[in-house]
Amino acid sequence: MFLIRIFLVSLFAYLFFGFLCIPFTIQGISMEPTYPDGGVNFCWRLRYLFSEPERHDVVAVRFAGSRVMLLKRVVAREGEQVEFRAGRLYVNGREIEEPYVHFPCNWNLPTRRVEKDCVYVVGDNRSMPIESHHFGQTSRVRIMGRPLW
Amino acid sequence: MVKMKYLLVGVLMVIIGIVLVVTVLPSEEKRVKKRFHLLSDWVSKSPEENSLTMLQKMKDIGTLFLEPCQLKAQGDSLSGSYTRQEISAYASSARSHFFEIDFKFYDLRIAFPEKEVAKATLTARLTGKLKTGEQVDEIRELDCLMKKVDRKWFFSQIEAIEVLKK
Repeated sequence: MFLIRIFLVSLFAYLFFGFLCIPFTIQGISMEPTYPDGGVNFCWRLRYLFSEPERHDVVAVRFAGSRVMLLKRVVAREGEQVEFRAGRLYVNGREIEEPYVHFPCNWNLPTRRVEKDCVYVVGDNRSMPIESHHFGQTSRVRIMGRPLW
Repeated sequence: MVKMKYLLVGVLMVIIGIVLVVTVLPSEEKRVKKRFHLLSDWVSKSPEENSLTMLQKMKDIGTLFLEPCQLKAQGDSLSGSYTRQEISAYASSARSHFFEIDFKFYDLRIAFPEKEVAKATLTARLTGKLKTGEQVDEIRELDCLMKKVDRKWFFSQIEAIEVLKK
């Protein structure tokens, strides 16, 4: 009976932490100060099962295989027009307030429309040159979920 | 009783035979995986690697590719069509900047959409140390198209998947 319990607990842990609530460590500074380098979190896979990511949501984007994810913030959804002017984010021509951006930013990016079934994601730390930051439009199917906290 | 004994031995031998065929004889998937292992070995570099080993590895790398081989990477100057010699020369030049390289493939999924054509999706990770002392850790998802020529699999196209499009 004890062995069966051990087996069931192990099976549950394997399924839960392997497929539903995936632990990950944060490597890199692109989401600072919201998510500091070296932090630990869990990717909740069911978050977008019946809903779509909203602007300002932090999402985990599948980058390579099933183990490498990018942690980014959704700033625009399909059909919307995104641009950066002197470090300020504009969506459909309107400036968007971003209280989570704490570091100075001077990015300029011409307007682009987010394609169908895609979202536009950017990191919170935009203190580096625009060329050095991984951001942009990604397919909705690559969004694996969102961090638990 | 004797007949039963012979029957059991026969069944056992058939099972062992099937297991041997499945495990020992290389399937097409195993042959494709072997090519990735070779590429991984030949790109990787240990600090103790001597010039002779380096030259041999560079010569060998080219033999894994079909001529010409297409390389695709969004916004990368590397994109284009290359001969085996060009690939070997590029690999040699790139490796020369490194003191140490560890090149590995993960999540390898292989499909055979047509006869003698294989499509592999995988994660490639390159970690290493440049001669300037800088650490490198690059990860990409790759789509590879492979073709079978003279019973050997060759890389025909390698494409780095663009996850974020600015």
